[in-house]
Amino acid sequence: MSRDPHHRADATAGRWLRMLRLRASWFRRRPSLQQELDEELAFHLEQSVRLYEAAGMSAAEARHQALLDFGGLEQTREETWRQRPSWLIETILQDVRYAARGFLRNPAFTATVLLTLALGIGATTAVFSVVDRILFRSLPYAHDDRLVSLGLVQSLEKQEFTLGGFFYEWRDNQRPFASLTFETGTSDCNLTDVNPVHLQCADVAQNFLPTLGITPLLGRNFLPEEDLPHGPAVAMISDGLWLSRFNRDPGILNKSISLDEHSVRIVGVLPRDFEMPRMQPVDIVVPAAMDIAAQHTVNSGIGYPMWAFARLKPGVSLAEARLQMQPLYLHTQQWIPAEIRNDFHLQIRSIRDRQMQDAYRAAWFLLGGVLAVLLIACANVASLFSARSAVRERELAVRSALGASRGRLMRQTMTEAWMLALAGAFAGGLLAELLLQVFIAIGPAGLPFLAKARLDLRVIAFTVLISLLCALFFGILASVEKPRALALAARAKRSRTHARLRRTLVALQIAISAVLLSSAGLLLKSFANLENQKLGMEPRDVVTVHVPLNSEHYPKGFMDFYLRAEAALRQLPGVSVVGMSSSLPPDGWKSGTRYAEILAVGKSPAPQGSGGTVTTRTVSPNYFRALHIPIVQGPGFTEEQRRSDSHILVLSQLLASRLFPGEDPIGRHVQFGSFNPYFTAGPTLFTVVGVAADVKNSGLGVDSEPEYYTLGRDRDPDAWTRHHYFLLETALPAAVIAPWIRAQIAQLDATAPVEVRSLSQDVNQLGDRPRFATALLGFFAFCGLLMAVIGLYGVIAYVASQRTQEIGVRMALGATRLNILRLIAGEGVRMVTLGGLLGLGAALALSQVMQSLLFQVSPRDPQIYIGVAALLALVALAATLLPGWTAMQVDPVEALRNE
Amino acid sequence: MPPSVDLLQGTLDLLILKTLALEPMHGWGVALRIQQISKEVLQIGQGSLYPALHRLEYRGWIKSEWASSDNNRRAKFYSLTAKGRKQLAAELDQWDRMAAAIALVLGQDKAATA
Repeated sequence: MSRDPHHRADATAGRWLRMLRLRASWFRRRPSLQQELDEELAFHLEQSVRLYEAAGMSAAEARHQALLDFGGLEQTREETWRQRPSWLIETILQDVRYAARGFLRNPAFTATVLLTLALGIGATTAVFSVVDRILFRSLPYAHDDRLVSLGLVQSLEKQEFTLGGFFYEWRDNQRPFASLTFETGTSDCNLTDVNPVHLQCADVAQNFLPTLGITPLLGRNFLPEEDLPHGPAVAMISDGLWLSRFNRDPGILNKSISLDEHSVRIVGVLPRDFEMPRMQPVDIVVPAAMDIAAQHTVNSGIGYPMWAFARLKPGVSLAEARLQMQPLYLHTQQWIPAEIRNDFHLQIRSIRDRQMQDAYRAAWFLLGGVLAVLLIACANVASLFSARSAVRERELAVRSALGASRGRLMRQTMTEAWMLALAGAFAGGLLAELLLQVFIAIGPAGLPFLAKARLDLRVIAFTVLISLLCALFFGILASVEKPRALALAARAKRSRTHARLRRTLVALQIAISAVLLSSAGLLLKSFANLENQKLGMEPRDVVTVHVPLNSEHYPKGFMDFYLRAEAALRQLPGVSVVGMSSSLPPDGWKSGTRYAEILAVGKSPAPQGSGGTVTTRTVSPNYFRALHIPIVQGPGFTEEQRRSDSHILVLSQLLASRLFPGEDPIGRHVQFGSFNPYFTAGPTLFTVVGVAADVKNSGLGVDSEPEYYTLGRDRDPDAWTRHHYFLLETALPAAVIAPWIRAQIAQLDATAPVEVRSLSQDVNQLGDRPRFATALLGFFAFCGLLMAVIGLYGVIAYVASQRTQEIGVRMALGATRLNILRLIAGEGVRMVTLGGLLGLGAALALSQVMQSLLFQVSPRDPQIYIGVAALLALVALAATLLPGWTAMQVDPVEALRNE
Repeated sequence: MPPSVDLLQGTLDLLILKTLALEPMHGWGVALRIQQISKEVLQIGQGSLYPALHRLEYRGWIKSEWASSDNNRRAKFYSLTAKGRKQLAAELDQWDRMAAAIALVLGQDKAATA
């Protein structure tokens, strides 16, 4: 140490000058800049040395003094080099290369991380692409948050509608809206040029497109004079039709097409993403051309039904709009018949709410579930990272000792995190595309937008965003505990910090898994209840036939056709019963009556508006036989009565017990009436001839309505609509019998379309939606549990391997193998207990949210929570016993020799 | 040790610009000149000169070229650009205003305590 300092300085300077030359060859990629800097600095030192030599110093002294004056040479070099604008990118590239080498050296780690990330990110992306349109994405209208749907609702129609009889009064007197418009629905129409095609046409008001903020892709909106009765016939066509029919010919404007044999001029093309607010498919839009004056006379004086939409004035909220429309609504009320006035309400809600109905909750629920999986994945990667940096502690400590700053090492970790996250995002994107195909394949028909879900730019941006957030999460967690230079010495202490972080992360994963598992368990139980509930009928072996007849071919009504078809179907081999009905249980369209309008003769009428609605069907006697619905009281309908004059009814048990509580309803009489303003019974007296067992008639997860059946009689041809169903009891599959059925029907009416379906399949489809939610959440819970268990196993195995020497010492000091097992497994048990309790607590706290998704299951069903606890305990035991077992096998002699 | 004065942030840039305004000069020359003119009061770390020189060059305030020095040794000479001249004027102006302001504050302080 006390050697001549000048000599040392000389040696330093000499080494430095040698290094400069070396450096020049190192950086061949950018020789000029690096060389220039080195040469510049060398010149400076030379001049300095020369000055001191001139002042009489020895060469060695001069060099020493020059270096002293200059300060940290290497530091200056670095600092100067860093001034270059491209410095940051170069450093990042360097980090990337370094990280890539590290990943390739440790393929098991890299593969595990990528797989975990791909699963988490992929599932999240797929779910997001489905729920995005439901929850977040704006509708294809300008400023869609200002658009509302408004109208009346009543117990038989919960989707708001308006009528021509009052719409114009609303339009002319309303204050909250900048504009009010309507559409009158879509209907079948035919393009009758060469190659006729069947299309959907919508009738809209002239201000329909401007109100919704839609600009035509081509051409113009309708003119006011085109929206008048007998105005010029014009139309706008959809982009789809423009492409399929006219190959996007820009010269389409002002061309005429033949629509239902009338010549119509095309004035515009709708934008590509055009959508009716009620989401009906549409190919052609035409002006409604309403005769406003006639609205007080047509359709019994109430006007045609229409669906109204409006744009709120700036600054007017939905609540204010409701308030401001109230006086107008009250005025409209005067005009509703007094007896049903109470049943009507004004409803104003956003178009989005109208479109999504009850899909919000399920969408949030799925998104929450998949985000939980993502969180588990990120925690898993964080704990993998942490384990890896514990292993790389020496490497990092060496880098740190060689001068890499803490910031530099953190940046290295973050670079690795970003790289893995982006690779994970890519793999996740591919997986998401795959999952989305699966979703669409198994998804229920009723879920809005599922079939339209795509991985577009917006979804991909979301994917990249969540993967970067995830990288931020695990990168920061892993880099906050980076070793200092001291780590070389203080190895054991640092490892413990790593271990604590990983234990926390594992407990977190277990907790989230517990939440996912219990939600999935609740849904599963609910779904099982739904599947196992009593339908009240036997849909197996029933084939339904629907023949939507063309009204123009049947000016005298449809009854004759149905009677002949019934006789023909009876002739089919393998068909034991042929029943008929105006509608089908357990779901789907059905007609209804208000309970208060049914009068049990001899009793006082129910208060107006009370009792809800009652389902009603017109059936043939064999309807009950085909569906195996037992007639529990009375004879029921007979074949002979079909040709009789008698007015008879079969009541469901529920309705019978409400109309005639505690009495025998057979032979009693019922009248149907209306409030005018007091209850006035209709002229016809119906006799109750039977009571049928209750049947599910409002869908699976919902309480059934009371129901009554009327008999389809020959004397009552008006009761036969063009939408009657045949129910055939047959052991043959629908696919086998369908051609025979079609052949029979074709003999009667060759033009009638025939739909043949298996009733049990239709009923089965009703479970699609809950089945979808259950399958998805089950999948998430499984993924979450799997990842959590891998994380648990990894941590325990790592801890066990780290403590091999300790175990050796303990065993040498007399610890039994069981003691060792307890030592290692105890670690896991603590993590699982803590995480499990936390998770079950959170699940219980969150369970109320699930209430509406569950059918006949309490959200706090103890069975489920005990089951989840047991499952967690079982899986956790396996994940801890395995490494514990390995630890037990440690040979103390071997372990101590390794020290 | 000679008495050293910590340079205010950005002051080094100003000194370099001012020094180069006289004539093109290499890094060693700039260091010497600042030291000499300030009568050894401003003892700038010679090492910290180079990051500053390069930073100013990337900003386009000075430019550099290799030329022979007086002892026939290749050296990198820096000179002021037009942009740099404008920057120098602006910074001098700002310096004057700040110095005046500080003097004012300190003068008032003295008056108050005196």
